[in-house]
Amino acid sequence: MKLTEQQLDALKELGNIGASHAASSLSVMLSSAVDMTVPEVELVDISDLAEIFRDEIAALVIFEIQGEIAQGGYLALFMPRESAIRLTNTMLGMTEMDREITEMDESALLEVGNIMMSQFLDATATLLNIVMLPSPPDVAIDMAHAMLQTVIAQVASDINKVILFRTELLCSEHEVNGSILLLPRPPMLQEVLSLLEKLMSGGI
Amino acid sequence: MTSIGLGSCVAVILYDPRNRIGAVAHVMLPESGGKCDRPGKYADTAIPLLMNEMIQNGSVRRSLVAKIAGGSSMFQNFSGNLNIGDRNVAAIRQILESFGIPLVAEDTGGTVGRSIQFFPLEGGGVRVRRADGTCTEI
Repeated sequence: MKLTEQQLDALKELGNIGASHAASSLSVMLSSAVDMTVPEVELVDISDLAEIFRDEIAALVIFEIQGEIAQGGYLALFMPRESAIRLTNTMLGMTEMDREITEMDESALLEVGNIMMSQFLDATATLLNIVMLPSPPDVAIDMAHAMLQTVIAQVASDINKVILFRTELLCSEHEVNGSILLLPRPPMLQEVLSLLEKLMSGGI
Repeated sequence: MTSIGLGSCVAVILYDPRNRIGAVAHVMLPESGGKCDRPGKYADTAIPLLMNEMIQNGSVRRSLVAKIAGGSSMFQNFSGNLNIGDRNVAAIRQILESFGIPLVAEDTGGTVGRSIQFFPLEGGGVRVRRADGTCTEI
């Protein structure tokens, strides 16, 4: 699998639109400004994943992408442990940082993740003029690599490189940061690329 | 030797106590379905690969022992996607048995991730650190 510069740019732009909608919904929920980085799109060899995600504890809220594209793939909100705790604290008006992650954090992450990812998919699907819906979410708080690898095992049975779309979101006021990860299966990636190509050749 | 952040993946460790040679594969899926470009990724291709490399380095098959760690299930709500962790462990057990390699220790299943450190020169011990902070030696 190889992507041209043009395809990478188109994917970045698509992700940019989705992520900015997700970021603004996070901003509303936290009632403060949220900055986002320019999305990165990289082809990552599954054996190099451990260089990006190691075994530090983090939270991952995942959704399967459902809708018109069969075997879509996964969309995830990744958040380092401390950020996840600060997120719950901010939402519930608490300050205690030196505590274990609890079910309360998991519920907060599921809620926030659900709203953000719905926004992401809605915005990208509207642009592509297709229907994409997030499945009910699931959350884990575990080693970063272990969680990502478990999701990637679902999409990488026939491929050794996965496309990793990553945008960092940062809310400086509450020191909350996280990443949006998009892991399409090959059929979804192909479909999205061809829709993007049509969109661009249509002069939009 | 280390393998970090094992989720549904399983670290397969083969060890020969006679010459203190060991090998580790980080298995992601149970079956290769005939693909041979990445043998370490699948249980059915990784185990023969490890065996052959150890035999090339002076081990004999009957002195090999195996330890495995990993194969957890972290996203319970997504069990509709089949439990890859359990399938990996089942496939590895069956393949080891077919080669007559005894599985002498394991720390598998559950819902938490693991990182392992393997010490072939110091008796073949494997230190398993789980995501919940607990450690164990297998």
